[in-house]
Amino acid sequence: MIRNLRFIVALLKLKLSRTMMYRLSFFGATFVDGSLFILWLLMFKAIYSQVDSIGGWSQGQTTVFLGTFSLLNAINMTIYFFGVIEIPDKIKTGDLDHYITKPVSPLLRLTFENINIGSSPLIILSIWIILYGVSMLDTPIRTGNIILYIIFIILMAVLYYDMEVIIRTIPFFVISASNIQMLEGAIFEMCMRIPGVLFDRILKIIFYFILPYGIIATVPAQILTGTASGRIIAMSLAIVTIFTMFTLWFWKFGLRHYKSASS
Amino acid sequence: MNKYLEVAKISFKAQIVYIFDVCIAAVYMVTKILFAYVLWGAVFRENETVAGFTYPAMFTYYIFSSFLSQIELSGNVSEEISSSIRRGTFSKFMVIPAGTQTYFIAQTFGVMLFYLVFILAASVAWTVLFRARFMMTSNPVLILEAIIMIILGLVFMIQLNYFLGILAFKYLDISAFLMIKSNVVAFITGSLVPLSLLPDAVITVMRIFPFYYVTYLPSMLLIGKNTEEALTGIIVLSAWFLLFTVLNKIAYNKLRVIYDGVGI
Repeated sequence: MIRNLRFIVALLKLKLSRTMMYRLSFFGATFVDGSLFILWLLMFKAIYSQVDSIGGWSQGQTTVFLGTFSLLNAINMTIYFFGVIEIPDKIKTGDLDHYITKPVSPLLRLTFENINIGSSPLIILSIWIILYGVSMLDTPIRTGNIILYIIFIILMAVLYYDMEVIIRTIPFFVISASNIQMLEGAIFEMCMRIPGVLFDRILKIIFYFILPYGIIATVPAQILTGTASGRIIAMSLAIVTIFTMFTLWFWKFGLRHYKSASS
Repeated sequence: MNKYLEVAKISFKAQIVYIFDVCIAAVYMVTKILFAYVLWGAVFRENETVAGFTYPAMFTYYIFSSFLSQIELSGNVSEEISSSIRRGTFSKFMVIPAGTQTYFIAQTFGVMLFYLVFILAASVAWTVLFRARFMMTSNPVLILEAIIMIILGLVFMIQLNYFLGILAFKYLDISAFLMIKSNVVAFITGSLVPLSLLPDAVITVMRIFPFYYVTYLPSMLLIGKNTEEALTGIIVLSAWFLLFTVLNKIAYNKLRVIYDGVGI
C-alpha cells in the first residue's frame, strides 16, 4: 500500500513537471467543463423560471444534483480521466508492453500517471454550485447526511472510474472501440443533465443497473437533500460493489487477451 | 463557381468512406431527443403549457433543433484549420486556386448534404419510435422562410468557425477555446433549451446577434410560432453574413503572413 502511494506521488511529480511546459493549456479543462456546468445551471434556471418542480424535484435539489455531477466530473478529470482515456490507444499500438513489464500494476500506473492538477479548480466551482443549491432548499441539511454524502461521493467516483475502465477494456477484444466510447460520452452527457429520478420503466433499468450513470449523482444528491430511502442507498452500494468487482475481473480477463504490438 | 461545386461534390463523395461515422452521428441524435422526452415529459406531467409550449410543440421543437444542430458541422472547419496551421499543413489550402473561405463553405456544404439524408431518416425514425405527436406548420411561406434562414445560419456558422480557425495563425493552440465556444453556442442557439424560456431583456439582446436565428427561430417557425420575426431574422443574418465576409478577408490577409509553414 505505502509502496503504491509512493509510486503515485512519483507519477504526480513527473506529470506536474511535464504540464508546466504548457502553461496556457494548464487550466484548459477547468474552463471547458466549468463553462459547461454553468450553462446547464442557466438552462435549469430558465426552466424553473416557468415551473415549480421537475418530477417532484425543486430547483434547489436539481442544483445540488448538477453540482454533485460537476464535483464527480472534477474528481474524474483531476485524478484518473486523462490516464484511463489512453488505455485503448496503448492496447492498439502495443505500448501496453511497457506497462506489463514493470514491477507495478499496469492499471494502477495507467490510472494515476496523468493526474491533471489543472482541473482541480473545478472542485471549488462544484462546491460553490452545491452550496448554492443547498441555500435554495427549504429544509436544513443534517450533519449525518453530509458525512454519508461524502462517503457516497467517494463511492460514486469509484463507480464512474469502473464505467470508464470497462468501456476502455473492450479494445482488448475488438481492437478499436472508438465509436462505443463516443456513444458512451453522449449517453453520459445526457445523464449529467437529467436527475435519475426522472427515468421510469425501461429507462430506469438501463440507467440504474446496466449503465448506472443515472445513480452517479442522483443518489448523493438525494442523500444530501434528505430524500434518499434506505433501499436506494443499499441498492447503490450493491451496484458499486458489483461493478468494481466486475471491472477488476474484466481488466484481468482483457489483459490475458492482449496480443502486444500485433493488436 | 464551378470549382466550388466540384469541392462540394468531392466532399460529399468522400463521406461514403466514413459511412459508419455518419450512421453513428444519426444515432447520437437519440440522446438529445431522449433528453427532451424524459425532462420535458416530467415537466408536462405537472403543467399543461410551459412558456406557451404544449408537450407536442416542445417535443417537435427538440426534433427540429436536434436535426439542425446535427447537420451544423461547421465546428470541423475551425478544428481542421487550426490543426493544419499547427502542423504546418495549411499550405495546401493556400496554394489551391480558390478562395479559402469559399472553399471551406463549399466543403462543409458537401459534407452536410451527405449527413442530411441520414439525419433526416433518423429524425423520422426517432419521432415514430417515441410516438410523438408531430406539430409542423403547413404554411409554405413559413417553411420557405425557415429554409432560407437555416441556409444563411449554416453559412454564418461556417464563417464564424473559419474566423476562429485562422486565429490559430497567431495563437497556435486554440483547442480549449473552441470547446468553450461549442458549449456556449449550444446554449445561445437554443439547442439546450428554447430561448423563449429566458428573460425578455436577454431575448431582446439576443435578437441583435445571429445565434438566435441559427437554430432557435427556424425551429420555432417550423412549429408555427414567432412568425412575425421571420423577415427580421433573414435581414439580421444577411447583415452578419456580409460583415463576416469582409472581416474574414481582412483577418486572413493580415494573419496569413505570420504563418511559417513549419508546424510544431
